[in-house]
Order: sequence, then C-alpha cells, then structure tokens
Amino acid sequence: MKDKRNDRGNHTGNYGVTGQENILQAQNLQKRYKGFALSIPRLELPKGFATALVGENGAGKTTLLNLLAGIRLDYKGEINYFGRQEKGIDGSVQERIGYTGPGSYFLPQWTIRQVEEISGILFDNFHRDRFRTFCGELGISSGLAGFGYAYREVKKLSDGNRMKLMLAAVLSRDTELLILDEPASPLDPLMRDKLCDMIRGYLEQGDGERSVFFSTHNITDMEGVTDYCLIMEHGSIVEEGFVEDLKEKYIAVKGEAADAERARDILLSMSRSAYGFEGICLAEDMEKLAGMDVAFETPGLSQICVAVMKANTKLKI
Amino acid sequence: MQNSGVPIYQQIAEQLKTDILAGKLKEGEYLPSIRGLAKDLKISVITTMKAYELLEAEGLVTAAQGKGFYVNAQDSEMLKEQHLRRVEEALQEAIKAAQIAGMTEQELRGTLEALLRMEDA
Repeated sequence: MKDKRNDRGNHTGNYGVTGQENILQAQNLQKRYKGFALSIPRLELPKGFATALVGENGAGKTTLLNLLAGIRLDYKGEINYFGRQEKGIDGSVQERIGYTGPGSYFLPQWTIRQVEEISGILFDNFHRDRFRTFCGELGISSGLAGFGYAYREVKKLSDGNRMKLMLAAVLSRDTELLILDEPASPLDPLMRDKLCDMIRGYLEQGDGERSVFFSTHNITDMEGVTDYCLIMEHGSIVEEGFVEDLKEKYIAVKGEAADAERARDILLSMSRSAYGFEGICLAEDMEKLAGMDVAFETPGLSQICVAVMKANTKLKI
Repeated sequence: MQNSGVPIYQQIAEQLKTDILAGKLKEGEYLPSIRGLAKDLKISVITTMKAYELLEAEGLVTAAQGKGFYVNAQDSEMLKEQHLRRVEEALQEAIKAAQIAGMTEQELRGTLEALLRMEDA
C-alpha cells in the first residue's frame, strides 16, 4: 500500500475537546409528522464557525432549521441559545438570530424600498445604509439604473434575486447567528461564490462571536465556507464533526479492477469502471485493504457526505 | 479524482513557515487573524485554524488566549537545520526528475553548475 498523503505532523485533530464553546445546544429534540419523525438526542453548534447541514431530501433539514429558528415551536425537547440559562426562544434571542428560508417572507406586492422600511421597523438592529450597499453588491438592481430597482416589487424578482434580497436584509442586521435554509440553491455559481464571501465576512467581523448554520445540497460550492458538518438521514444526525477531522476519519481509495470485489465490503461507497474502482472508507479500516494495490487520498467534503449518505440511505442506489 | 496533492492547510502552513524562516514575519509579530486570513484566502475558518495549529506544533508560533498567534524567537541552529532540510528536499526532487528524464549524474551536475553560474551573473 502506498499512502499519497503527506506527513501530517504531530497534529492530533479533534477540535471538540479544547474548550469549544457552543452558540446553541439542544437536547432530546423530537418532532413527529405523518410518516416522519425527527429525533435528535443532542445537538451542539460550535461558536465562531460556519456549520453545514447536509442530507437527502426529506431527511428533516428544514424541520430542524425551523425548530432552531423559532419558526415552529410545536416540538418536544430543549433548546438553549447563546449559552443562556433560560430554555427556548424569546424576543431577545430572535433579535440576535437572522433567518432566511425557501419561501419569501416579504409580501409579494412590497417594493424593495418597502422591504427596507419594514425591516427597519421590525428590527432595532437593522441598518438601512448597509442594506442598500448589499443590494448594490449583490446586483439585485441589475438592469435598472440608480435607485430604480428600489421600486421593483418582490413578486417580480427571480428566485435568485429574491434569495439575494433576503440575504441582504438578514446581513443588514447586527446578529450573532445566521440560520440559512438552502441559501445557495437558487443562486448562480458566481453568486454562490459571493455568498461564501459574505459568510466569511460575517464570521470575520464577529471575531469568533458570530456563527452560521446553513443547509445545502451544493456541498462542493460551500466547502470553502464549511467548518463543521452535520449529516442527517431519516430525522437523525448520522455523522458530524469539524471538516478537518472528518477528512482524517475518512479516506479516499483508488484501486485496480481486480480488487474491486474484495474492497467492496470494506468501502462505505464505491464506484467502479473498467479501469478500477474508487471510493471512501474509514481511515481505521485502511489496514483491511492490505495486499491490494490501492492508493489513498484525502477526500473532499462532498465525497465524505455522499459516502455517509449512501451508507445510511433507504434508497437502493 | 479531485483534491489530490498537498492539503490546503499544509500549503498555508508551508507558506507562513517560509515567511517566518526568511524573517518576513518577525519574532513577536502576530499572524493575521484566523477569520481574516480565511476570508482573504477564500477558505474555511477551520482550515486556517489547522494550519496555525500545525505551526504551533512545530514550535514556530504560540497561541495567545483571545489574541491570536504570534511568532516565536527562532533558534538559529534550528533555523539552519530547517533551511538545510529544505535544500535537501528540493535537490531530492530534482534528482527524481533527472532520473525520470534519464539524465546521467554528470549531466545533472552540469545543469546545477550552469544554474549556479547564472545566479552569479
């Protein structure tokens, strides 16, 4: 066996133990729908980082985000925000959280200028000047000169522009936690890049006091802004960890076609071609591949997520 | 497969190490803030943090609670050692490439000498 990875030095990994603070903590979260049950015994979001929530459609990502954002309050269990003694959400917590979701929470007939005015009334910490800057940076006004865009109605915006408008509004507030449900999906690749920049900028300005929690299917696009990753299946969290730790826990394997049959039982996920196979296995299982002509590489986050999802899915893929 | 080669955190650590050993980052000087560097390099906070922790493990920097990482005094013996190791690594790389190209030892020496003369000129 040859290990293509470079010397990793004496670093032990595992960022969890070194007194990591949490921005949010939940115990025994339960939510039932017909044919679906969300059940999370323990959830902790690290403070000062961006956490990605990944999982199949229907895994319960939106349900979880809705419970945490205080959109749904009909759940069992406890949620503690910002290390407070009191459980649950109230106005003072809401003021510190920014949320964007798949629907639009602006009324369709509002103009962008009205969105600005109403946000200013709803939230004490909303900065109108910042909102205008973001609208400009995000190109919500594209095609309209000057302040012309301000009189455009929300219903006339494309899905992408509506998402941008929500992001501009939420980032114009002084918050400590952003909960973003699929912020990347309606955005084009250029805007996804911009979204990542904005998240990094948000974290940087908070200097360790701000955190972001977002769900996504676009793992590759968002990897550069993912510090911690939670993978959900069937209403449960099946894997979680800091990305750099996950990249040591799992390893990408490439091998010859002749070894594919034997390797299949050891790998979590595998794809085969005429030339050979590649897949992901647990680093601790590397020894089981001894004797095969295989090469190892550090996996990308997307590869890890797909492998974990494949290992847990009920679908026959 | 994508993502082959040296992990990003290692590339960053290498770069900072070079700057420290070359004296571009001086003793007592603070490294850029973790989140600031992550933003500038367009990478995640945790990757930057891991690069810094690697430098800390090698004794090049020290973490100051709540203030970030600062550059340690560099032991001149260790510094020499480090530089020597780098030269050796680079030369090994060159030898490997020469072997692949089927160059003789004589030709390789010739190339090195020619390059040295160019440096002087």
